Amino acid sequence: MNNAAFNNASLFHAPTVQEADHHGHPKTDPKICRLGTIVFLCSEALLFSGLISAYLVVRAAGGFSNWPPNFHDGIELPAMPRLLTGINTVILVSSSFVYHAAESAVKKGKSGSSLILLAAMLGATFVGIQCVEWTNLYREGLWFNKGGVYGSSFFTLTGFHGAHVCIGVLLILWCFYLQVTRRTFTPQRHVALENVGLYWHFVDVVWVFLYVILYWL
Amino acid sequence: MIRAMIPSLKKSTLTSGSLISRVVQGIIFLLLIVPAMAEQRAGNIYGLPPCVTVSGEKVDAIFRIIFYLTATVFVLTQGTYIVYLIKYRRRPGVKAHYSHGNNTLEIIWTTLPTIIFLALAIYGNRVWDEIHRPAPENALTIDVSSYQFGWQMRYPGVSGKLSPSDVRAISPQNPFGTDPSDPRTAQDVISPDLVIPVGRPVHVLLHSRDVIHSFYVPEFRLYQDCVPGRTIGWVWFQATRTGDFQLACNQLCGTGHYNMKAPIHILPEEEFQKWLTPRQQKNAASSTPPASPTQADPVAHKAPEKELPLTTTETKPKL
Amino acid sequence: MSATTVDASIGMDVHDGHGSHGHGKKGLMHYIWNTDHKVIAMQFLWTSIIYLVLGGSMAIAMRWQLAWPGHPIPILGHLLPSTVVSEDGALIPGGYNMLVTMHGTILVFFVAMPVLIGVFGNFLIPLKIGAGDMAFPALNELSYWLFSISGLIMIATFFAPGGAPGTGWTAYAPLSSHGPYNGTSLGQTLWCVSLFVNGLSSLTGAVNYITTVITMRAPGMTMFRMPLPVWAIFITAILLIFAIPVLSAAAALIIFDLNFGTSFYRPAGGGQPLLWQHLFWFFGHPEVYILVLPAMGFTSEILAVFSRKPVFGYKAMVYAMSVIGFLGFIVWGHHMYVSGMQLWLSAAFGVSTMVIAVPSAIKTFNWMGTIWRGSIHYTVPMAFAVAFVSMFVIGGLSGIFMASTPVDLFVHHTYFIVAHFHYVIFGAIVFSVFAAIYFWYPKMSGRMWNETLGWIHFWMSFVFFNLTFFPMHNLGLAGMMRRISDPTVYDCLKQVQPLNVICTIGAIGLGLSTIPFLINMFWSLKYGPKAPANPWNSTTLEWTLENPIQHGNFPVTPTIYHGPYEYSIPGMEKDFLPQNEKAPDHIKLEAH
Ligand code: HEA
Ligand code: HEA
Ligand code: CUA
Ligand SMILES: [Cu+2]
Repeated sequence: MNNAAFNNASLFHAPTVQEADHHGHPKTDPKICRLGTIVFLCSEALLFSGLISAYLVVRAAGGFSNWPPNFHDGIELPAMPRLLTGINTVILVSSSFVYHAAESAVKKGKSGSSLILLAAMLGATFVGIQCVEWTNLYREGLWFNKGGVYGSSFFTLTGFHGAHVCIGVLLILWCFYLQVTRRTFTPQRHVALENVGLYWHFVDVVWVFLYVILYWL
Repeated sequence: MIRAMIPSLKKSTLTSGSLISRVVQGIIFLLLIVPAMAEQRAGNIYGLPPCVTVSGEKVDAIFRIIFYLTATVFVLTQGTYIVYLIKYRRRPGVKAHYSHGNNTLEIIWTTLPTIIFLALAIYGNRVWDEIHRPAPENALTIDVSSYQFGWQMRYPGVSGKLSPSDVRAISPQNPFGTDPSDPRTAQDVISPDLVIPVGRPVHVLLHSRDVIHSFYVPEFRLYQDCVPGRTIGWVWFQATRTGDFQLACNQLCGTGHYNMKAPIHILPEEEFQKWLTPRQQKNAASSTPPASPTQADPVAHKAPEKELPLTTTETKPKL
Repeated sequence: MSATTVDASIGMDVHDGHGSHGHGKKGLMHYIWNTDHKVIAMQFLWTSIIYLVLGGSMAIAMRWQLAWPGHPIPILGHLLPSTVVSEDGALIPGGYNMLVTMHGTILVFFVAMPVLIGVFGNFLIPLKIGAGDMAFPALNELSYWLFSISGLIMIATFFAPGGAPGTGWTAYAPLSSHGPYNGTSLGQTLWCVSLFVNGLSSLTGAVNYITTVITMRAPGMTMFRMPLPVWAIFITAILLIFAIPVLSAAAALIIFDLNFGTSFYRPAGGGQPLLWQHLFWFFGHPEVYILVLPAMGFTSEILAVFSRKPVFGYKAMVYAMSVIGFLGFIVWGHHMYVSGMQLWLSAAFGVSTMVIAVPSAIKTFNWMGTIWRGSIHYTVPMAFAVAFVSMFVIGGLSGIFMASTPVDLFVHHTYFIVAHFHYVIFGAIVFSVFAAIYFWYPKMSGRMWNETLGWIHFWMSFVFFNLTFFPMHNLGLAGMMRRISDPTVYDCLKQVQPLNVICTIGAIGLGLSTIPFLINMFWSLKYGPKAPANPWNSTTLEWTLENPIQHGNFPVTPTIYHGPYEYSIPGMEKDFLPQNEKAPDHIKLEAH
């Protein structure tokens, strides 16, 4: 989705707000941007609710205890790597905290760029480990089209989430770039940083849900 | 409303006024004709086709109640509306009444419809439950199998019972999901027509081999989707008179959907037996011993000793 | 794309040369990427009129086939691709299915939604709440372009191998999710992609509307002083935020099933065909209220203006809309009573469906209260608004039949349903859209339309509409199924074939009735008399602005002193009091 546009404060220019940027466009009030982001994240939440409830419905229909259903294609389905993903979950969640620390640093007038970079790196690590896991499961015979609805839903749900994480990492790197080259974010004004943060926390929270539902339920 | 508006219409369309009013007259005439035609055709004032099942009569009863209710509401609301539109049209020197509303009225017209609607819902759901009681013991069970784009019915053989089947085994080679190694399988009577006895409950097991189809017979007041991968076992009905009807698929299922139909014959019990018994006996006579289990067939990997359950009703909760 | 670009420029005339856009862009780019909410509204308007003609013509082709099955369609038959018609220009069964699908999809997603939300949401919200523009103008333009692109993708399905999808606008799985069943894997995929992109457009729009309404109201404009169209679109936007993503998720799963071999909807792989229906209708039911709520908002305002009376029960109207919005999310199962869903669930959805009719009843009675003891001015927008109420009652009452679980056993998927939803969709929503276009056209274009043509349009569409869709009730009760290309294959339907002919004659007339409307709009754009700032003596803020409205709307931010509909106040000379005018000291306004 158009997160880049969404968080780029200079794209928005509500005439009622007086402050102007270097193009002479008036800048949108940070509060308005935050509200917009939150409304947008509500719809994202519904997107994931749709996917998760699809998964739950399919499982309920097959009988909850009867899972994973290893009737399909006669293959023995691999067990979920709960430990590795557990560690991965910790990595992703900690990146949220690091990002928060970066925001506090900026609010105090510091650059915070190293913390921003660290948050991005943690996110990238998460994606990396997730890729390794996908490859392993693929080798063991589980894929979008293998293992029936079990494989389908596992890869679709984690895939949707993974795409969101990737976008998030790119957004954070973009914030990092802005901060290093232009020192865009100041204690007074850090609209993009704040909204990327909202998005990033949201993505992390969704992951915690997915981890519980896909790996432990 | 029409009368209130025609003056302004005439004012602005002086030249074409008479033509338009003639067209309007013609159309009003047509609209009155339409219900009258339906009446003639169906022999009753609602324009419904004849109803030939016991449960269908219950549906018609509640249909009638809603018809009278909505007709009353229609006449009252539209009548008041038209009166207002004429009575309160602009007149020189008359100013509109200044009012922002009335809370007592709001409460009245919130509670009254709530009571009516809840009563309708409760009554409706009671009929719904009655219609969906489990099928009686003496019911004739028929397996109705739908596919793109047609129907096949499977009747019990001489044993009087349908041979066991499993929806998961349904495939192009095994359209009913029966067990070919079971001797009873060959006894089943397969028919392209739905032939049923009058006066006896008929219990249909609805299946689909590919996409969702539906079992729809307007004269039965009955509609039920056939969902692939499932047996829908709660549909049963009892015909009240003989006759020939058509079973229609009423769920968009592809190119041939519009023509996916099957004949229905409702026969007196003796004639029904005359139709069914020879077919049962023919199958019993020609039924050969089961094919060897090594033969590659879709259910071969299932243990042959284990008897497959006859799924008459949904066992597991589904959606 | 060029068509939409050119059309968009027509709307631009409105204030070209007046006020500066302040963007420094010139020429074509200036029109393509313009962030003024009024211009975007016009872009939406012209584009969706193209789709109205497209989708409506498909309906005419279908109606022709239903009345005279197998007969070549004059003119239209030669314009359709060979996947849809035979060589002599008659519809083939598969082609009929494609047209049903595209007719439903196009009219819902590319006509009704953009007109109600894209056009009037954009045009009215900032003007009515006293804001200079939307909160995120760039996002707003993005929304328009996503919408345009999704439309092109939808049209492209006709040229996929196998043609457009023929699975209905509801695209039930597994017909839609399995290539061999529907015969056009690519077409169905494009359909899903198009709805996904269209969904993004709706979401960006909705984010904008919600944010704008919450944060950018002028001083004094409290929530309960907002005009009802703004309330309606605000609630609609909230529904969009919650409903659209679920459709997007479900459509994504169809794309995966079709192309990557997943088995969400495939029973053999453990999937559930009914899953699609649950997800689709979880979106689909709120969707119909997404369509009707803005229409209700416009009607409430227009009835008040031309009855010269305050809206009866303003707050009751707002609460009723909110309740509709909330309950709309828990009634989706009424489309699935007989789908194989658990029987007790059907019963439960039956109750909630009955309950959701209550707020509609409240609104109906309040509309009647609004005209009661009014001083009704008969103008074209008023005529359409009056027709809205009447047609909505008919459509709503047929909804009560279907809401009753046992009756739905009989009428499900028959023409009774088709009659129901065309009464609420065309008879109510489209009529209110016409009302709204006539009502706000002077503000949008700065010019008045021709009254005679307007009345011709009204009477033709009112009469032909009823002629087209009323007999469909009878057809449905006679057992005529939806989505069949040839009713005469069924014995029991042969005898009602004359009704089909009547419907078709009505449909052709209904199509032709659109012509005076289109002529009127285009003619007035250039030659219409210049409109005064407030031709209807209305009270809301947009009418306080001189035509044409400049970029940035309000030269001075207005202050709002009271609610939106202060008409015929006793003791006042003028029979209306604009929202930004203080009531004279001796006048006491009634609380609303
Ligand atoms: C804008 C669109 C719109 C609106 C407003 C409605 C409003 C309602 N709809 Fe409709 N509906 C559709 C659009 C809409 N619908 C569409 C498009 C479909 C078909 C989808 C498809 O399958 O393709 C559909 C299908 C549909 C079905 C499924 C039918 C089937 O497939 O078997 C049902 C079933 O319950 C239903 C019910 C209702 C009800 C109870 C209302 C209520 O909200 C109506 C309430 C209004 C009134 C009742 C009238 C005014 C009230 C009074 C005057 C008060 C007094 C009245 C009494 C005491 C009776 N609708
Ligand atoms: C906003 C929604 C909307 C609107 C406005 C309409 C408008 C019309 N619909 Fe609509 N219809 C749907 C939404 C809508 N429909 C939906 C959702 C379905 C269900 C689809 C499905 O089952 O999947 C449906 C299904 C549907 C069917 C059922 C098909 C079937 O189940 O087999 C029919 C049949 O008569 C029909 C007819 C019409 C007609 C005649 C019009 C007319 O009002 C159209 C009039 C407009 C024009 C004609 C265009 C403009 C005019 C001109 C360009 C002038 C010249 C034109 C000529 C005379 C050729 N529609
Ligand atoms: Cu089978 Cu329609
Ligand atoms: Cu609905």
